[in-house]
Amino acid sequence: MEISTRTNGDIHIVGIAGSLDSGTSPEAQKSLESVVTSAKKVALDFSRLDYISSAGLRVLLGAAKQLRAKGGSLGMFGLNQSVREVFEISGFASILPVYQSEADALGRM
Amino acid sequence: MPKVFRKAVGADPSGVHEVNAAFAGFAEENALPADVRRSISVALDELLANALTHGSTGRDPCSVTVEAQLDEHRVTVTVTDDGKPFDPFARDAPDTTLSVEERPVGGLGIHLVGRLMDEVSYQRREGHNVVVLVKQLAKD
Repeated sequence: MEISTRTNGDIHIVGIAGSLDSGTSPEAQKSLESVVTSAKKVALDFSRLDYISSAGLRVLLGAAKQLRAKGGSLGMFGLNQSVREVFEISGFASILPVYQSEADALGRM
Repeated sequence: MPKVFRKAVGADPSGVHEVNAAFAGFAEENALPADVRRSISVALDELLANALTHGSTGRDPCSVTVEAQLDEHRVTVTVTDDGKPFDPFARDAPDTTLSVEERPVGGLGIHLVGRLMDEVSYQRREGHNVVVLVKQLAKD
């Protein structure tokens, strides 16, 4: 699992490659926390994310809560069909905004 | 002739990783469609992470065996562990180890397994928990 970060204006874009599961979630959480402490708008680039399990969803929820507590937001884009399916089944698709593309996310966040 | 994969590991984080990697190899060798591979990988992660939390007696680490069988129409995955009796699909299974905040999310993993797979079942057999998952392959 690899995490990369870049910024576009006031939006921090965090790319997560590989899988977000019980094994990789602790590391992902640490990386996200350090971004979340200094950012208000975070967009997750999932274009290289293979799949996500409930352990990964928990990390995302935690990051979203932290951001919202300071008036910020967490969004994501680039979901493959499997990741999208997990978001829908879990109900997370109605809690966390899913954008159709990076441009869509940057334009609307 | 069904293609078979079998991996026995300890129920610890490195064991979960080993199963994951071995299943990914099996999926690639057999050109399993990506969405099928991903759904099964998620289901395995949920079940193995569960076995880790619930199975260990504290005295001996729990051991887990994962088998996958691929035939023309479906992938059948069997997860067997030697932990104490635990049916992950039992709706009223008490889970006093989780905090109030965690509990709803704790059930989330099993909910995902049930929805991602086409069939799920649990049996207690000869001192083992046996979970069977079936994922149909789409007809071309």
